This record gives sequence, structure tokens and C-alpha cells, in this order.
Amino acid sequence: MADTEIKAKIKNLICSTLGVEADALEYDTALFGDDSIGLDSVDSLEIIAFVDEEYGVDMTGVGKEHFLNIDSIADYIESHK
Amino acid sequence: MTNDKTRCVITGLGMISAIGNNVQECWNNAMNSVSGIDHTKTVDTENCYSDFAAEVKGDAWDNIPGTDGMDRASKLCIKAVAEAMKDSSLSDFAGDERVSVIMGSCVGGVASAEIYYTKEKDSALIPQMPISAIASQAAGYCHAGGTVTNVANACAAGTISISYAADLIRMGKADIVVAGGADSFASVPFAGFTSLHALDDHPCSPFNHLSGITLGEGAGALIVESYEHAVKRGAKIYCEVLGSGITSDAHHITAPRPDGECQMNAIRRAISDSGITEADIDYVNAHGTGTAKNDEAEFLSLHTIFDGKNDDLSVSSTKAMTGHCLGAAGAVEAVFAVKALTENILPPTLGFSEEDLVVLAERAGKIDFVPNKPRKKEIDTVMSNSFAFGGNNASIVFSKNPGDIAAPDKKEKICITGLGIVTPAGNGKDKYIANCNDDGFEEPGDMRSAVGKTEYDELGLKMAFYRKLDNFSQLQAVSGMYALKDGNYCVNDDNSSDIGIIVGTSEGALSPVCDFEMLIAEKGNANGSAFKFPNTVYNAAGGYLSICSGIKGYNVTATNGAHSGLFSVGYAMDVIRLGREKAMLATGTDENNDIMHELYSGLGLAADKPEAPYSGSDKFTLSDGSTSLLLEDETYAKSRGAKIYAYAAGFGTAHKNVKTGSLSGSGEALDSAINNALCDAGIGTDKIDAVIGFADGHKVIDSIETDSLARIFGDKLKKLPVISVKQHLGEGRAASAALGAAHAALMISGDIAESSCFFIDGGKAVAGKTKSAELNNILVLSFAAGGSYSAAVIAR
Repeated sequence: MADTEIKAKIKNLICSTLGVEADALEYDTALFGDDSIGLDSVDSLEIIAFVDEEYGVDMTGVGKEHFLNIDSIADYIESHK
Repeated sequence: MTNDKTRCVITGLGMISAIGNNVQECWNNAMNSVSGIDHTKTVDTENCYSDFAAEVKGDAWDNIPGTDGMDRASKLCIKAVAEAMKDSSLSDFAGDERVSVIMGSCVGGVASAEIYYTKEKDSALIPQMPISAIASQAAGYCHAGGTVTNVANACAAGTISISYAADLIRMGKADIVVAGGADSFASVPFAGFTSLHALDDHPCSPFNHLSGITLGEGAGALIVESYEHAVKRGAKIYCEVLGSGITSDAHHITAPRPDGECQMNAIRRAISDSGITEADIDYVNAHGTGTAKNDEAEFLSLHTIFDGKNDDLSVSSTKAMTGHCLGAAGAVEAVFAVKALTENILPPTLGFSEEDLVVLAERAGKIDFVPNKPRKKEIDTVMSNSFAFGGNNASIVFSKNPGDIAAPDKKEKICITGLGIVTPAGNGKDKYIANCNDDGFEEPGDMRSAVGKTEYDELGLKMAFYRKLDNFSQLQAVSGMYALKDGNYCVNDDNSSDIGIIVGTSEGALSPVCDFEMLIAEKGNANGSAFKFPNTVYNAAGGYLSICSGIKGYNVTATNGAHSGLFSVGYAMDVIRLGREKAMLATGTDENNDIMHELYSGLGLAADKPEAPYSGSDKFTLSDGSTSLLLEDETYAKSRGAKIYAYAAGFGTAHKNVKTGSLSGSGEALDSAINNALCDAGIGTDKIDAVIGFADGHKVIDSIETDSLARIFGDKLKKLPVISVKQHLGEGRAASAALGAAHAALMISGDIAESSCFFIDGGKAVAGKTKSAELNNILVLSFAAGGSYSAAVIAR
């Protein structure tokens, strides 16, 4: 399990930069696609840029399964930093 | 066949781009398959994955007398305008009200914003930043005195400007329109498209590798003229301007609809509007940017529309030579299309290797994409297409033949059936009425409108949508949706293409532009925000409104200073009278925030304390808001049982050039705008019962209004109620201009029973009250720095 600090920072990015309301976003909330909070490809660019700048992890071209939710993004960062 | 009064022709061409400083240079280079794309040397590319751009070479644009201190985009524009006028054997227009200037732009004065935020906060740069400056300065250069505005619809702006130019002529509102578009290459678009990963890391290759765009810059200008006027003065006629189609995707703020539905609607409208068939189109200058999303959608649209109906179609994208010139693209490409038509040679799509040609053969089917080399072909009719951020689509047809275009119907009455109002003193029409009637206006603290969850929930807007909107877009989305709701207009599959939008704004998305500029100034061009960049285009607000409302018809953002909020009403009336739509949302929106306050303070205009109209100050209270009016043709409104507040009976606009950002000396243009509006409404000054003016406390602004009213109304002025919606709400610029029209409609309908007003006597204003029941015709006025004015008659 990735540490909660990473998750908190990603959540903060999604709320403060991408305009998602905090009470609608848990760490396992689906981010993209149907039945999600409705992020799209432009939002994914912001997440990728943040992860690169903050943790030096390049997620460009990484599979969709790593962008399911905050948990999966944090796991990817944890295993690639 | 199109009757001579409705015929519209091109009589002059001007262009500057990466492949030449004039039309002949650009055309010769296109004929030699020369690309203007190279590694940029003008913006910082550190850590950026691509450094290609198609920049204008040399300084031919920078040495035109009278353009000192102007932004690069305005200078590029005026370079093309000067060439087009000379080509058309036209000289200075000397204030001719029958001459208009319509210019497209996407990023406007970003070069000036870049200097302001990275080098020196020189206040002289401030009036150069908004898109508004371009058409106003171009009109100043040639002394045009008619309709002056900018079309700010991103990459479709240049094409829409020519379409609107032809519409103005067909409506009988102009004899000559200088139309086109201009944009300059700068850090904001470069960093923005970098953040979206939308730049190709090689020179772009439209309809080929589909790996991104290469940014260009430049300007195109076309002299669009009434056929009869051109013949009368013995002008050289290049070709006819036939029909056009403008639609909105209602889909996504940056990506086109993958199914191409509204793109195809634009193309089909252009063909049917022209009175021709698919088989008549010989050549299409495509949008062809080189991104997968655009080009795939465009392949689909072209095949769907033309396959089986036209087996001899040629299509090319000239962007492989000029780069993507954004707001200038449609204008530059229209010039290429007209040259192709008159020279009978097709410009090429560059960039295909032998292997690429094999792939192209599969994708192209029977369509000839003119790969690599120009080709001779006898052609009669050409089309130019542009598709934009915000989901805007535009298509226009040029031909050697006059086509079969219907004359506009000027008789249909246009009514106001819905109102959406967002102000610093509260939101919604009912709140505004309550403020006016009973409650009185509370003194709003900081004169900044706010919308939030209450409004979104009321209007059924979801978080997945509204989270993306910047403040300007939020204000516009809420007031627009309020107007639809108030008008009981339910947008559905049957009527979504019958309704369109004109957003009027003074500063538009200038705050997001400055915000983005500050971001990249601090973090570098490699670190722009993909989330923020789409909101830097002025038409984002209109695009979002299309998305949340489902409106798929006409969609234009018009910007030329504060009067744009009333200008939008006149523009929407034209769209309805031309039969392009049955209903239109006409809006005025501007925002007040720290950036705007700094810029207006830098100009010495923003007051620290509330300033009342006619107070003789040298400042005004900067404010903001958004007002949307739903306009419909009367037959349509009655058929759906709509409540009619009032009628938009007449509209007029005029321009008298004064220094950018100033107003003194332009008052006679207000007289003209008023006379034009009265003439359009078919009434005289004796029928006007009240005026909604534009006084905001600034003595220059206020005296232009009172002086003009004195000239127009004479002795009657003493007893004529003059209302200012800025009395309680400050100078909201386009929002105030549109609110004036809404206030008039609410007085005519009786929703506002009584209004505070002023009586002007000998230049002095005395406060009073006026009862609405006594009013049948209200004259609404608005002004714009630079010397443009609009006037409208709102009638019972």
C-alpha cells in the first residue's frame, strides 16, 4: 500500500486544480469513464505533469489500469520512484 | 439565381504568413511547395518536447506608419488590410458608415501581455492586450465608420468573420466589409499547446501522420463587397462569396465530436445556403490541423458528405506550409481558396513520403488530397472549413458563379422571451426585479458576481461539467441557462440546431490569458497547465454554454469593448432575420477580479469608492456580471406559446476612430448608432419614451452620452427619463450593456413597475423616477473605448 501522504497530495491536486469537490472524492473513487467523477484526457495531463514534477515518475503512456483511482496512481508512484 | 442586391463579392486580398509577406509571395511559395515551418527562435523552448513553429519572416509588418505601439497581432492585421485595400483600389474610407471591419482572432494581444508580465508593467500595453484592440485599430487605420467588431472564436474566427461580413452586406448594413483575422505566435499559445501535448515534434503533416499541430502566425484580409457597389465603382472582382454554415458541437471544450455531426451540419448548411449541391464543390481548403482528433473527424465528414455525390473532389490543408495560424487561419486559408479558384491551381498538402502516399490512398478513397505538389484543375466553386476549440464549426463557399442565395427576411418581428441575469447584487431575473422594485439594491461589497452550487443545482448542472469552468465561463453558463429556463425553452434533438448563441464581451478571457502568462513566466513554457489553457480562448464560455445547454446552432463570441453586450443583441437579430436560426441567446459578460482590477487601475479608470452616474468623476466603479436574453422570431415564439416580454425592434451601431482605449471625440458615432437604430425600428425620436444610457460616473463617458442625447432629442430631453443600470451595479462593461436591454424588456413587460432615472437639463442630471406603464419604446445605448457604439430600440 502506498503511503497516505502521496494519496492526500493527489487528492489535493484533483480538488484544487481540477475543481472536483472534496466530499465527492475518496481514494477508491473511479476517476475516468462512466460512473466516475468525470475526469478526461486533459485532466490526465495535469495528473501526469504533477506526478512527474513531484515524484520524478513519468506516467506518460502508462496503461489505464494505473489511472483507475487515487489508490492505483499512488501504487504506481510508490513502485516506480 | 441570387439577385444582384444579395450578391456579395471579393474585391481585394491581403495576407502575411510564414511563407510570405504578401499574397503573391505566399502564393508563389505555395506553388513551389515551400513550408514556412522551422525551429522557433522567438520563444523559450527549454524542456519543451517540440520547438517547431511557422513564424513570419522579416519585419515587413512592423514598419507601417501609424501602427507604433500596437500589439504584434494588430500590426500583422493592418499589414494584410493595407495590402487588401490597395489590391481593391481603395483608399482611406474617411469615416464612411457603410464600411465595416470584422476581424477574427484567437489569442489577440498575448505578445503585449507577455511583455507586461515578464518585462515591464507599462500601462500603454494594457489596451493592446484584449482582442478588442485588433478590429478597432484596423478600423482606425482605414477610417471605417460602420460595424466594427472582432470574432473571437479561436481557430474558426477567420472564417466566421468573412461569413458575418457577407451577412452584413446582404442585410443592407454595409457596402464594404474589411474582413479577416490575425494572430501572433507567442509563449501563451506555444506553452498551451505544449501542455496539451498537441504540438507535433516534427513539422505538422495534415491528413498524414496526425501527430499534432505546428503553430503559425499571420493575418489574412479580404475586401468583401456588395456586388452592386463593386460594379458601380468598377472594382476588380475575384469571385462571389456564397453561403456559409456556423454550428456548435455541444460536446467538448477542446476535442471535436468524433462523429463529426455538427461539422457536417456546418458544411451542409454552407452548401444549402449557397443554393448549390455537393457535386458543385471542386476544392475544399480543409481545416486539416494534423491532430488525430481533428483529421479523423474531418476524413469522416468529407467522406460522409461527398462520397457518391462528388467523385472529383480535391481537398488540401495549407497548414503544412503556414502552420496553424489560429484566429488568422480561416482568413489566410480563404485567401488561398480564392487564389486557387481564380488561378485554377490547387495548393498542395505537404509532407507525404512514398510510404505515406500508400496509406493516404486507402484513407482518401476518391478524394484527391493534392499531396506534395500543386495541381492544375479548372474549378468553379471552392469551400473553406475551420473548426475550433469550444466546438465551433464554420464553412464558407466561394465561387465564380452567383449561386442561389435567398434574400433576408427583414419583416419578421423579433421578441425577447427569456432573461438570465447575474450581478454582484444577486443572481436570477426574479432577484433583479426584486432589487429594482421592492428590496432596493444592497451596496455590493466588491462588485464581483459569484455563482456557485445553489445556481448549478437549480439549473441541473453537474460537478463533472462545472468544475472545468473558469469564473468568466461560470457567469456566462449560469446566465445563459437562466435565460433558457426563464423562456421555458427546452433544448432537445428536434430544436437544438434552431437556436444559437452570440456572446458579447469586452475583455473576454483576458484574465485567464494573463493568469496563464504569469504561470509560464514563473515555471517556464514546458510547465503550462493543460487544465487552464482551454479557458484562455474567449469563446470557451460560449462553448461551455453550448455543452451544458445542448445548443448546436450558430455560436459566435463578439468582442469590441463594453458595447459588445448590446452589440450581441443586434448580431442575434441579424442571425434570425437571415433565417440562420429561429432563436438566439444574446449575452453580455465580463468579469471583475484582481487581474482586471489591476489592469483598469493601471489605466487610471477603476475607482476605489462607488461612483454614481453623472458624478463628474474621472473614474468608474469597476463591476461585472452576465446578462443573457433569449430572442426569437415572433412566429416561432408564438407557436411554442412563449411569454413575450418585449420586442427587439431596431438596432444600430457605428464607429468613429479615436485612440485605442479612449473615447473623446467619438460622440458623433453615438448619434449615428441611435439614428440607425431608430431607422431600423421605423420610428422617429418622438416615439422614444425613455433611454437606458451608459453613464457610469466617468465624466468623459457621461458627457458623450448627454451631449449626444441633447443633439438627438433637443428640447424633449428635459422630460425624457434616462436610466442607468450602472447606478447601483457599477460599470460591468458588456454585462451592463446587455443588462440595459434586459432592464428595458422588464419595464415594457411591467415586471419592473417603476425605475429610478435622471432627467438631463443643460448638461446637468437630476434624479427622478419613471413609471413603466407609460413607456412603449425604450432606447438602449452602449459605448466602447476606441469609439464604437450600439443602440437598440426595445418596444412594447
